[in-house]
Amino acid sequence: MRRMASESRRSQMLRGVLDLCLLAVVVDEPAYGYEMTRRLRERGLSTVGEGSIYPLLGRLEREGLVATHREASDGGPPRKYYSASPSGRRALAEGVRAWRDVRGEVDSVLATIEAEVA
Amino acid sequence: MPDLLAEEMATELDSDLAEAQADGVSATEILGESDPRRFAANWAGERGLVSEPRPPKRRRRIWLWIVVALFLVLFATWLALQAVGSGSATSGPSVEVTPPRRVSVPNVIGMKACRAVRTVAHSGVDDWRVIGHQHGYTCDLVVVGQSPAGPAGHREAAARPELDARSARRRRHRRSRRGLRRPTPANARAAARDRAEPR
Repeated sequence: MRRMASESRRSQMLRGVLDLCLLAVVVDEPAYGYEMTRRLRERGLSTVGEGSIYPLLGRLEREGLVATHREASDGGPPRKYYSASPSGRRALAEGVRAWRDVRGEVDSVLATIEAEVA
Repeated sequence: MPDLLAEEMATELDSDLAEAQADGVSATEILGESDPRRFAANWAGERGLVSEPRPPKRRRRIWLWIVVALFLVLFATWLALQAVGSGSATSGPSVEVTPPRRVSVPNVIGMKACRAVRTVAHSGVDDWRVIGHQHGYTCDLVVVGQSPAGPAGHREAAARPELDARSARRRRHRRSRRGLRRPTPANARAAARDRAEPR
């Protein structure tokens, strides 16, 4: 029960910043869906999946934050590549700034609690 | 949903799943435990390819409207009752409350019973009694007390006046001293003779 609650809380936390993470992994170099998952895992975000990346990419595409193009793959059908659009880059910068502000405020609150617990 | 777009999404997913499988990652790890139909509908909805289902109606709003309607009904009922209550005063059977009538009770002490009773009745008192004489009283009884007491003037009283008429020694009018005679035929002739004959 506690593990489920912990995973639910983690999932809720990621839901708010996953779009920023996806923009961050494609801001320098375009990538397709599975490759984005791989890049996130390499950067430390391992618990991403659960069918959340593809719908999120669809929303980013609809909002114009990512641009798409097709490239021929090795021995397979052409792949759909995603890259950060100019508006996506601006949204990423603003999102990172907001995330750091929130993280600092939450850390200041939680740091006190951790000190008491310790 | 256009078939071209559906085929595009299917191709994209197939390619990724194939590469994931080559890396030893199962499709469940990529797509999660969600229902495939739901996953596909969610993906298409996020891309704006299908209209999003209408959100379920908030039951909370329904209850709010029910409470508001109930309040309005009660308020209208209260207004109607107020209107009926004010209108019933001018029509239909009603109970009239007669305020107590205030009359002035005269002072009848010293009067003979009959005269005292007439005086009290003429003052507007319609309910009186003579105490001590349940079976009747005689006119020559003299009132020696009354309740409420009447002063030299009249005193208002809402209580039923009571007259205490008792027998008293009859005053003997010395009619001879005052020159008064009991009116009888013989006295009447004598009085006429006295007036006719100067002394």
